[in-house]
Amino acid sequence: MRVSLEWIKDFVGITAPAEEVAHRLTMAGLEIEGMETVDGDIVMEVNVTPNRPDCLNILGIAREVAAAFGLQLKIPQHCIDGPLEKGDIRVEIDAPDLCGRYTGRLIKGVTVGESPEWMKKRLEKCGIRAINNVVDVTNYVLLEFGHPLHAFDADRISDRIIRVAKAGNGSSIKTLDGIDRKLDEDTLLIWDGRGPVAIAGIMGGEGSSVDLPARNIFLESAYFEPSSIRRSSRILGLKSESSYRFERGTDREFLEAALNRAAMLIQETAGGMIHEIVDVYPGKHVPAEVEVSCQKVNSILGTDIEKEEMLRILEMIGIKTIDRGDSFTAMPPAFRGDIKEPVDIIEEIARCYGYGKIPVRIPKTSLPDGILNRKERNLDRIKETVRKSGFTEVINYSFMNPGDLDLLSIPEDDRRRRCISLKNPLKQEDSLMRTTLIPSLINNFLYNLARGTREVSLYELSRVFIDEGDRLPKEELRLSGIFFRENAPSVWQEQIPPFFVVKGTLQALFEEMKAGEYCLAPSDEAFLHKGKSADILCEGQKTGFIGEISPNIIERLNLKIKKPEIVIFELSLDMLLTLVKEVPVYAQIPKYPPVERDVALVVDVHMTSGEILELLRGYGSPVIESIQLFDYYKGKNMPADKKSLGFRIVYRSKDRTLTDNEVESIHGSLVEYILNKTAGTLRQ
Amino acid sequence: MGDLHSLRKTFLDEIAAVTDLAGLQQIKSMYTGKKGLLTEKLKALSAISPEERRDYGKLVNEIKDFIELTVKEKELAFRTIEKEARLQTEKIDITLPGKPFLCGRKHPMNQILSEIKDIFVSMGFAIEDGPEVELDYYNFEALNLPKDHPARDMQDTFYVSDDVVLRTHTSPVQVRVMEKKKPPLKIIAPGKVYRCDSDVSHTAMFHQVEGLMVDKGISFSDLKGVLELFIHSFFGKDTPVRFRPSYFPFTEPSAEVDIGCIFCSGNGCRICKTTGWIEVMGCGMVNPRVFEMSGYQPDEYTGFAFGMGIERMTMLKYSIDDIRLFYENDLRFLKQF
Repeated sequence: MRVSLEWIKDFVGITAPAEEVAHRLTMAGLEIEGMETVDGDIVMEVNVTPNRPDCLNILGIAREVAAAFGLQLKIPQHCIDGPLEKGDIRVEIDAPDLCGRYTGRLIKGVTVGESPEWMKKRLEKCGIRAINNVVDVTNYVLLEFGHPLHAFDADRISDRIIRVAKAGNGSSIKTLDGIDRKLDEDTLLIWDGRGPVAIAGIMGGEGSSVDLPARNIFLESAYFEPSSIRRSSRILGLKSESSYRFERGTDREFLEAALNRAAMLIQETAGGMIHEIVDVYPGKHVPAEVEVSCQKVNSILGTDIEKEEMLRILEMIGIKTIDRGDSFTAMPPAFRGDIKEPVDIIEEIARCYGYGKIPVRIPKTSLPDGILNRKERNLDRIKETVRKSGFTEVINYSFMNPGDLDLLSIPEDDRRRRCISLKNPLKQEDSLMRTTLIPSLINNFLYNLARGTREVSLYELSRVFIDEGDRLPKEELRLSGIFFRENAPSVWQEQIPPFFVVKGTLQALFEEMKAGEYCLAPSDEAFLHKGKSADILCEGQKTGFIGEISPNIIERLNLKIKKPEIVIFELSLDMLLTLVKEVPVYAQIPKYPPVERDVALVVDVHMTSGEILELLRGYGSPVIESIQLFDYYKGKNMPADKKSLGFRIVYRSKDRTLTDNEVESIHGSLVEYILNKTAGTLRQ
Repeated sequence: MGDLHSLRKTFLDEIAAVTDLAGLQQIKSMYTGKKGLLTEKLKALSAISPEERRDYGKLVNEIKDFIELTVKEKELAFRTIEKEARLQTEKIDITLPGKPFLCGRKHPMNQILSEIKDIFVSMGFAIEDGPEVELDYYNFEALNLPKDHPARDMQDTFYVSDDVVLRTHTSPVQVRVMEKKKPPLKIIAPGKVYRCDSDVSHTAMFHQVEGLMVDKGISFSDLKGVLELFIHSFFGKDTPVRFRPSYFPFTEPSAEVDIGCIFCSGNGCRICKTTGWIEVMGCGMVNPRVFEMSGYQPDEYTGFAFGMGIERMTMLKYSIDDIRLFYENDLRFLKQF
């Protein structure tokens, strides 16, 4: 809210420089977010928190200034001496639970015209455009006293009755802004004898507004229930300076002063004769009484504030108290509807005492249970391993474009189609919650490629959201990556097919996490290259996939690169985390020497190295320590339907040195076994 | 014996003239080989009179030892030179690049998050998390933000349905943890949060770290102590800190924490809007109503909660001036950290 310092001075004789005023207000909870000089006056931008509607006006700010500087608050005279002529407009409240008080005055014979300069200037400084003297006065009093007022053209009030009642079924109204609005049945309206003339507390109707020919006006000053105003304002999508204040809570005692202040200002600027007040007050204000223990105040704050000091502070901000020995009763004024509980009083004491004066202490507390943060640590290790193999971390929005799933040709019955969608997305492309991280990574890749980066390896670890029909979706952790490297000129040549670069990362990951064995099986993910892709299986269950992006998708992405070998992977971490071996168990370092033997097999080209390795391992000799593939060959001097695989077998016994003869004999039968199983031959 | 002396002299002249191992080998066999000059002298020993033979023989042997030793020394010298020459030819260009070992980088926000987590974990805080798609109840109601509360305006909410939202802050984790665990509590909960506004300084998704400490006798003093300690660890121990009254429905008293502007040392600049202070986090004493709704006894326990934005902390620490950079994921940006 914009506040003029010169205007504040109407209510408090503050002489301190503006910077000091700003500082003290900020430190009392009214943050001054900015200051500017306008016509020799200082205008401050005050951030008023939702709990302090009493500060949404000049008088309220002046009250805080007075308290912060220990000065007296001056409230201008706002009684209208009688006797006055009675007006002919009656007021009835049909919904006393939504309208606790309704007051009004008829002012006859006004001349609607321009407002005086001084008033226009003050309004403009606070960001409000001048319209005419009657409307300007209502805005002026809104700014000054914080109470929204409404002026009706009295001659357009049918049957001389104002009725406050709900909209009921099928009501509608054309508001001041010229829009026809259908009304929810619970919306509170102001009616005359014919129909609705205003949406209570939110906006007036066009039919009863004060325009140039108006001679007689009826001025409304009422109290509307905050939650009702907020609800209606939200349903209508209509906010105004009035609704903003009503929904935060106004002062039903002070509204009469606002009415009188406005009536007098109208008389001053537009002439006319003020009539007797109409005041219907079904929901009388009951002052709150809050019992506060002094010991409680100090124990919550960590202070040693004396009771006298507490009472003095509260007095200063208008809260009356009754001393009850170890405790006191606090009676907040009607404009402080936010104070209901002891803790509200404690906060008032704290902010006026000064947060800066509260001592700083390091708490003495019990220690946590000691099995802290294991999951966090494991996730950190996973990310570190992926980074070490060259992937850089990205963070993407959790949103997904509905078209993304189609781009990836995800089948209709796939789990990834069970998306959570937002009712109010910022844009359609961001209307779903991600069920896979792949689309985001593809976008990151395209973004970097378009900016000339020719080596893009990125990973993201994030949640995806799958709707399983429960109230809340299942949130699962995914690790995904994308890898692309154009053959860059380099001194040291190292040619590893991209698929195997990424597979190496996964190998490192499983090894680092001691997550046991995993195996790869052909994948049927439609967005992957049929021949260069695999599902990752852990304990027989699909845990993820790895593979080159399918040429179909590359075409759809319209990529202009020579060799679009882009490898992506996604892993379900919830599954992986359950496999992590927390504590490794020591195995004795071998005491006896190893003997190495190699075997080079020529087998059918379709036989995978994994199958053969599996067969070799299946041979099951206790002295075979390890079997490793060390050579892979296809091409020249080899029939087209054959390939050669070289395995190194390490023999070692736990309890003795193996003799050459022994090893020869075992190795011989192993070779015979594998040739037999694979229908292969030995490479010459 | 004069012939022996002249032989020795000739040897010395010859060996001094030798330039390589082959020449040396030649000299060696010329003197000490089977048909070498000295071997000849030894063979001729029998022709010498017995009285001279002893001295003559002794001299021959001395010269032989001398020649062998000299040849050995010379050989060693030649081998050293030869090795030296070989090393010279094997010389590499040490300024060629090393094997590219391309380590990826951690996203700058996660670097800052790790730092924040480290500080709190070292103070004994445990790390908790909660769902990002959250019930309205946990995101608002249990935090003392009933429907139709004007403070809901502080947070523009994405809705999935009438009672399911994208969490607008990490505070619902407080309630979920309190429902599950008994006090005392010391937790932080980092995570993604969502608000449906997006402009130059706001993104529809951002990150927060929530903190909560509950025990008997926890006061606002303790809140100041813990957060000052955190800020001094994170921004440096001389960073000025101030606590300023504010409002959050789930804490009371509530505060904003400001630090002395790290860009202008508090003198006033564009970033601190000339105030000399920068807001870094919100905090406060847990509102007794939140305790009640979470099943804790507000008479018995007190506590404080705090929350900070990781984007903001990262921007301050690394002098980043545009929040959108975090989500563009441009490698030229990511590789700087």
